[in-house]
Amino acid sequence: MAEKVSPTNMRQVGPKDLEITWTDGHVSTYPVVYLRRSCRCAACVDEWTGERTLRPEAVPEDVKPVRIEPVGRYALHFAWSDGHSSGIYSFDHLRAICPCGECVKAASGESPGS
Amino acid sequence: MFGRAKKTVDESKILEALRTVEDPDLHRDIVSLGFIKELKIEGGKVSFKVELTTPACPVKEQLKAECHQKVSAIVGVEQVDIEMTAQVRRMNVGAATAVLQGVKNIIAVASGKGGVGKSTTAANLAMALKVSGARVGLFDADIHGPSMAMMFGINSRPEVTEDRKIVPIDAHGIKVISMGFLSGPDTPVIWRGPMVHGAIQQLVRDSAWGELDYLVVDLPPGTGDAQLSISQAIALSGAVIVTTPQDVSLLDARKGLLMFRQLRVPVLGIVENMSYFLCPHCGERTEIFRHGGGKKTSEELGVPFLGEIPIDPSVPVGGDLGNPIVREKPDSPAAQAYTAFARQVAAQLSMLAESGGKSLPHAPIMPGPIDWK
Repeated sequence: MAEKVSPTNMRQVGPKDLEITWTDGHVSTYPVVYLRRSCRCAACVDEWTGERTLRPEAVPEDVKPVRIEPVGRYALHFAWSDGHSSGIYSFDHLRAICPCGECVKAASGESPGS
Repeated sequence: MFGRAKKTVDESKILEALRTVEDPDLHRDIVSLGFIKELKIEGGKVSFKVELTTPACPVKEQLKAECHQKVSAIVGVEQVDIEMTAQVRRMNVGAATAVLQGVKNIIAVASGKGGVGKSTTAANLAMALKVSGARVGLFDADIHGPSMAMMFGINSRPEVTEDRKIVPIDAHGIKVISMGFLSGPDTPVIWRGPMVHGAIQQLVRDSAWGELDYLVVDLPPGTGDAQLSISQAIALSGAVIVTTPQDVSLLDARKGLLMFRQLRVPVLGIVENMSYFLCPHCGERTEIFRHGGGKKTSEELGVPFLGEIPIDPSVPVGGDLGNPIVREKPDSPAAQAYTAFARQVAAQLSMLAESGGKSLPHAPIMPGPIDWK
């Protein structure tokens, strides 16, 4: 089992971005609206099929977190300005959806340089 | 003879000697660990305190003897008085410690399947830590089969303070809160998930635990709502998995362990219950199930093996009568095994605290909350 990464630091960057620094040194910068649209709670994703039921356009472009709190030792909880607050984002999930070029490339299975 | 003036022994000599004494768990000498307190030297009389990271230190007596021997060997020392004390360390789990401020370590006792003696193990773990001198609480989160009231002989219900905090019941010096307090003995708890979640969160967070070195949490068996709720409501310091030597139990133990890995709760280790039967008449050891499964599983999964507990008919008797065997018959083999196991748990927690969570895998330090601006 690969060593799991966890955050060493988390901060708000500007009005629209959340930055997480991970134990392996990687830095992820998430536009908050992207995080809201990536919610995996039962209201946003079909629990049986895994299909996303949340329509991206249903999330206002200017949505922002009200408060971000740690959950136990494995996740973050977001309370959002649109009233949604049932999403728990595990560190595994957060790292998997890192939007940086490097991670997106790795996730889509492309070999570097292709 | 020569009229020799009383010469005071040099402090640096004593510290130098103590620097050769190493804590076997923390792998550092006891001087640099800061264990030596109140060192006093009067002529040839030397006295000091050794402040360990847990009163349940597995090698307390060994360390004391070693200190005594090393200091006594210094020229000029005539008398050595050593007092062994303890200051339990709190593991830094970051912001998540905000809940349950006064509790230094929270230990979940879990099992993959029922009937392995998890609650008995939790009760005796708490009792053994208490007997060692620690301040201990016990939270019985076994929602569908709470048994701690019986195991600790509790007949009363807890009181609620003016600021709506639940006051744990004191049983043999342990602060006990049980899901059983919410219902009578003849009322089964038939609750849906969200109710379980709410009740657990409320009971653990809103109880007046006060200052505790260890809070032992007895989880229901399996991997479900209650386990998830606890792991979300509080930052567990670590989890202990109880198993028996049979394969099916070991299979479920693996699942429990993998659940805690997903939830990033460090697994302190596996303890094997009902490991063998010691004949009370002839003392012969019979391995009723097969032997060594717990140890093998812990090796496969890369977690510490915390010990094996023999089958002893007086264990359930003590449990039914409200007196855990560690208190009822402290010299029995089962009580001794529970005590040795409790010391291993305490040692693992000390190592976690000392290493900043690095002595076991998957022990993140949580970031603080953010109020978005």
